[in-house]
Amino acid sequence: MRNIIREHILVCLSSAPSNANTIRAAAKLSRAFGGTMTALYVQTKRSDQMGAEDRQRLQRHARLAEKLGASVSTVTGDDVAFQIAEFARISKATKVVLGRSAVPKGRLFAPKPLTEQLVELAPYLDVYIIPDSAGKNKRKQNPATKQRILPSIRDMLITIGILALSTVIGFAFHRLRFTEANTITVYILGVLLTALFTKNYVCSVISSLAGVLLFNFFFTEPRLSFQAYESGYPVTFAIMLFASLLTGTLANRLAVHVKRSTQTAWRTQVLLETTQQLGQAEDETDILEVIADQLLKLLNRPILLQCANGTSIRRFPDGEPIEDSTDTASQRFAFQSGGKQFGEVFIYGNALEPLESGILHSILGEGALAIESRQNARQKEEAAVLAKNEQLRANLLRSISHDLRTPLTSISGNAENLLASADAMDESDKRSLLTDIYEDSIWLIRLVENLLSITKIDEGQARLNMTTELVDEVIAESLRHIRAKTHTLETDFADEILLTQMDARLISQVIINLVDNAVKYTPEGSKIRISTQKQGKEVLVRVADNGPGIPDEIKSKVFDLFYTGSGKNADCRRSMGLGLHLCRSIIHLHGGEITLTDNTPHGCVFAFTLPISEVTFHEQITHTGG
Amino acid sequence: MNKLRILVVEDDPAIRNLMATTLKSHDYRFMTASTGASALMQAATAQPDVMLLDLGLPDMDGVAIIRKVRTWSQMPIIVISARAEDTDKIDALDAGADDYLTKPFSVEELLARLRVTQRRLHFMQASSPSPIFSNGQLKIDYAAGCAWLGEQELHLTPMEYKLLCVMAQNVGKVLTLSFITQKVWGSSTESDIASLRVFMATLRKKLSAGKEDVQYIQTHIGVGYRMQKL
Repeated sequence: MRNIIREHILVCLSSAPSNANTIRAAAKLSRAFGGTMTALYVQTKRSDQMGAEDRQRLQRHARLAEKLGASVSTVTGDDVAFQIAEFARISKATKVVLGRSAVPKGRLFAPKPLTEQLVELAPYLDVYIIPDSAGKNKRKQNPATKQRILPSIRDMLITIGILALSTVIGFAFHRLRFTEANTITVYILGVLLTALFTKNYVCSVISSLAGVLLFNFFFTEPRLSFQAYESGYPVTFAIMLFASLLTGTLANRLAVHVKRSTQTAWRTQVLLETTQQLGQAEDETDILEVIADQLLKLLNRPILLQCANGTSIRRFPDGEPIEDSTDTASQRFAFQSGGKQFGEVFIYGNALEPLESGILHSILGEGALAIESRQNARQKEEAAVLAKNEQLRANLLRSISHDLRTPLTSISGNAENLLASADAMDESDKRSLLTDIYEDSIWLIRLVENLLSITKIDEGQARLNMTTELVDEVIAESLRHIRAKTHTLETDFADEILLTQMDARLISQVIINLVDNAVKYTPEGSKIRISTQKQGKEVLVRVADNGPGIPDEIKSKVFDLFYTGSGKNADCRRSMGLGLHLCRSIIHLHGGEITLTDNTPHGCVFAFTLPISEVTFHEQITHTGG
Repeated sequence: MNKLRILVVEDDPAIRNLMATTLKSHDYRFMTASTGASALMQAATAQPDVMLLDLGLPDMDGVAIIRKVRTWSQMPIIVISARAEDTDKIDALDAGADDYLTKPFSVEELLARLRVTQRRLHFMQASSPSPIFSNGQLKIDYAAGCAWLGEQELHLTPMEYKLLCVMAQNVGKVLTLSFITQKVWGSSTESDIASLRVFMATLRKKLSAGKEDVQYIQTHIGVGYRMQKL
């Protein structure tokens, strides 16, 4: 887990010449905080009408941002502040850097400045404004920008229609000699309807003004003129205008609110579903599949998900042609979390609606987050395993270096004696020294074998060399490696042919260790009996001796690493507590169990099981008389 | 008995010394090489009877040396490997080596392998391709397609008989599992190896015929089988 919140800085790209300075400032900020940086470009309707010069400049800025270590993302939507806030939320940005040119000023009907909107939408964000070095680099106002203020023709027609209808109703009321108050109410109702049915706030303002003027023109004395005789009329007009404007504003807000909340509900539903499915995803591939499925459901367009690890996932709506090239994609989005990029998403077909692109970013954000947390969890797990292995290795090393010294001292010392004064020794002395050297070296060989197996086991199942073996064969072979002149070895094999999947070398080592132990810890002349039998779907191998046995309180400990028997045994230095632990690890890796029980009347029984492999034979055994 | 001439290929001086001392004290004639290149040259010029080859030479891969030697000579090659990995040995055996020893080996073990090889050489030189194979009590009449143990005819299944023939034709040589299954079944899948284990078990039971101490077929764990020359 990262406890320290890393700063993630979001800088807004634009085609304004001063934007380069903004990007540089953001990069400086990012470096100062030691954080990551993302450059965001919000694509609006206006972007399509951008001139070639502006387009080139924008691309230059994007490249600059990349060079300064930022990852570049694009979102689509006309509500720039909303898009920035959304992106900041998803990408967990902590600071936003804007150029001064992004803050419009001085226009009459200007909406709230971007900064103010941003602060409203994302109160947790720090907003930095980088001033233009000089005001001269003003962007030319595109004619397209005016479209936002001028209502569409459809809206105008609706406005005029409603005004006309209100006037007609007003005439009817006048004919019926209803009071003027009714006519005023009709006009206000008209404004209300205009606000509801048109998309532009300007329409309701126009409607309010026109309503007052029409009322004045048609229904006040003198009629068909803009004059009014009665002294109360100005007040009436003012109140009417005020009521109209208020009604229009409220209705407009209501319409916007309804639209927003429907969208929010839809978006919540899609995201909730995504979150649920992401929660159920088992691994990273699953997560990517879920994302691809959700995106297809949301967008109903061909999608290509290209991951950082090289895999790519494609999804197509029914009947759509399959797109292969990433070049034909209409839009591409980075798939990232906390500055780490996990892949890219390519979308084909029509450009995305702002809402769609918002949700898309949310889904990508959730997905990236899920992958990141999965990766973090895995790293943590791996680190824990690594730490444990390190600990084991350290213990092992300590134990080995201690236990290696004794036989090595004996070998080198005895050899030194022989070299220095072999002539002075008699034959039997020499022989006894040589026997010691030989036995100590054999002991070292066994130890090295065990150590090699331990490293093999450390590396896990993958390193096992599993083959189909006959249990009896492996046991018989293993026993050939044991010299037990002072003990009697007996075997009693099952009649059936018992085949198991095993790493024959390791299982052989288990048998050698068990029999060696039995030889070591029982008095001379003891009997050791090795038997096999079938037990359900397992083979049971028993190594039984008739020695003194093992006390109950020690039984549970004998398989522990570095447990070295009772200190009384003279041979204690020779038992590192490696052998039995290794046996247990090997048997567990094979899916078996190893146990220690008492023999009757005395002695102990080490028994282990191995699963019998179900093998279908290549050919039937056909008996021919002959 | 005419003692063998042995080429010892080993880069480690201590081990080379150990082998030289052992061979000298048992009256073998021998020469040594410490690199793959000089080993190949001595093998070609001095024509030794047996090669003891360390797989971990500094200049050449041991398996490559075996392949080269096999292009002109059938001299028995005993591979000596410090690596406990079975695959090394199997590769060497499949490339044409006859036997293997794993370091650390005992001097006794080395001498025993040399005796086995000597018997095998004698067998190879003495017997021109004969329709009757005989090894200790075991006799195989290839023409009649039957086998005897002493005076007793062995009742073998076709598969067991085929297996016995493959082992007999390579007597004294360690055969890898995949070599045997290739010879008998023509393929070497997991189930072939399982079948081999089963047929080998039944064949051995019939060959031992009550006498457990006579072992015609030896198991080499993780590697394969060998029919001993008795």
